[in-house]
Amino acid sequence: MTDAFHIDVPHTDGTLAVIALSGDFDIAAAPAVRGRALELISGGHPDLVADLAGVTFCDSSGLGALVGIWRCAKDADGSLTLAAIPDRLGRLLSVTGMDTLLPAYPSAQAALAARPSNRTTA
Amino acid sequence: MAAVRRYDILDTPPDGAYDRVAALAARLFEVPVATVTIVDEDRIWFKAAHGLEGVSEIGRDPGLCASAVLTDDTTVIPDTLLDPVACSNPLVAGPMGVRFYAAAPIITADGYRLGTVNVLDTRPREISEADSATLADLAAVVRDQMELRLSALRVVRAEQERRKVEQERRQAEEEARQRAERDKAAIAAFASTLQRTLVPPVLPAVPGLELACHYKTASPQEVGGDFYDVFPVGGDRWAFFLGDVCGKGAEAASVTSLTRYTLRAAALVDADPTAALNALNTALLLDAAVGTRFCTAIFGVLDPVRDGGFTVTLATGGHPPAYHLCPTEEGGVRVEAARAKGGMLVGAFAEAAFASRTLHLAPGQGLLLYTDGLTEARTADGHMLDDTGLMDFLAHRPAPVSAGSLIDGTVALLDTLPDTERDDVALLALSVPTADAAPAGITTTVHSAAAPTADVSVAQENRRP
Repeated sequence: MTDAFHIDVPHTDGTLAVIALSGDFDIAAAPAVRGRALELISGGHPDLVADLAGVTFCDSSGLGALVGIWRCAKDADGSLTLAAIPDRLGRLLSVTGMDTLLPAYPSAQAALAARPSNRTTA
Repeated sequence: MAAVRRYDILDTPPDGAYDRVAALAARLFEVPVATVTIVDEDRIWFKAAHGLEGVSEIGRDPGLCASAVLTDDTTVIPDTLLDPVACSNPLVAGPMGVRFYAAAPIITADGYRLGTVNVLDTRPREISEADSATLADLAAVVRDQMELRLSALRVVRAEQERRKVEQERRQAEEEARQRAERDKAAIAAFASTLQRTLVPPVLPAVPGLELACHYKTASPQEVGGDFYDVFPVGGDRWAFFLGDVCGKGAEAASVTSLTRYTLRAAALVDADPTAALNALNTALLLDAAVGTRFCTAIFGVLDPVRDGGFTVTLATGGHPPAYHLCPTEEGGVRVEAARAKGGMLVGAFAEAAFASRTLHLAPGQGLLLYTDGLTEARTADGHMLDDTGLMDFLAHRPAPVSAGSLIDGTVALLDTLPDTERDDVALLALSVPTADAAPAGITTTVHSAAAPTADVSVAQENRRP
């Protein structure tokens, strides 16, 4: 009944990395997402785009992971951008006020296109 | 002397083997008295005595046994009266009038002389070399007997020692087990005490208000990430809050505790709901141990209104909206989400902003606060109850709204949902009784996932007149 959770990093470019999540982003998945994201940040990719297109469910633990990743990215002079936010998660981000802090785009492509190009070669 | 002690034969009961040696010696030498003696520090002890009834020991006077034990050879005194030392021995000079004495020392394998085998007569006499050898052989028989006894004794002592060690081991194990039991009981008592600081308190009685709550944890320790509280803030004002710490179990409970006490303390300084959430945000961000833990919360202040009801000032920190239930003239219930725009997660961002709004809670109306354990509960078809499902359910509550029946109904709804992996759930309902209704009171239900059937009703009788 719970979809197997997957974490992929389909794209990295300079300081930027796309981390694509799919499945239920809950208490079971949150530590792995946080761990993978922190690896990317400490590995020289502090500018993260989280592609949430495949996320079927996100609870407060998932939200907690996003907050933690956002903080670490910020500490590393990076950023966290959300892409393809599912409806329910969108409402959750709105209720928690996170939508005012995290930039969001309809897709990972759109998020990448919106980034200043000079950072990718830095 | 150590050797005597080693053989452990002093003051032991007469032993048939030594008696037979004494009797044999008397017969062989045709003397009236034959003895087997052990020489102690200050006495000569008759291990066996033939012809000396009633005598078990004598003093260590020189001349006879006391002297014979000092030499490796057989001592023979043909006529004691002619012997310069023996002549004054009590046995010689006394009523017994011993005139002949011969003794062979009992010599152990390692050379210790323990005592003697003696033959005595009241007449002087001579014995041959062969007789001396016989006496020495008898002493050797006694020695062998003692060695046998000693080895048997060693076996017995080893067995006793083994049993003692075994018993001590068992005792140590038993003590360790008892200590573990005591430690376990102490830890359980400690945990239980700590738990009481983590679970929400019993609701107070608030004049003019009916309060009801429900609390269920997913953890068997009955501590969780959900919290609520209702408490006075001075005058006739009251504050309440309900929230949800990200996470579950003991780790979440520690943040829950910090959150509850921070909100209480903040409200006592400044009963403005926005200020209370700001204080909590700062406290959670400053707490290094808490790290990246944060919570969502609704904080409200109740101001009684002169004509009945309360003005409710609500601030929201990233929490789903409270629902305001207003009976309509048509007999239905209108459900309004009481949102305060812009409230963010508490403890996640230094730049978090909180806003508040007010509403009037009139007689007959109710307010429901809940955690996402309710809205994220799944229905039989696998869908979450969600905001829409909850609002629909609330719209069908009877009017006027009663906090007690609102909680009862919501708990009944949760119980119909088949979800086995339920999250922590906390519910807090407030309602203002209508003038003609029963007096306000408090209803509390506490549920733990560890004991799903134990629907304990607490403080049910805590009703105000």
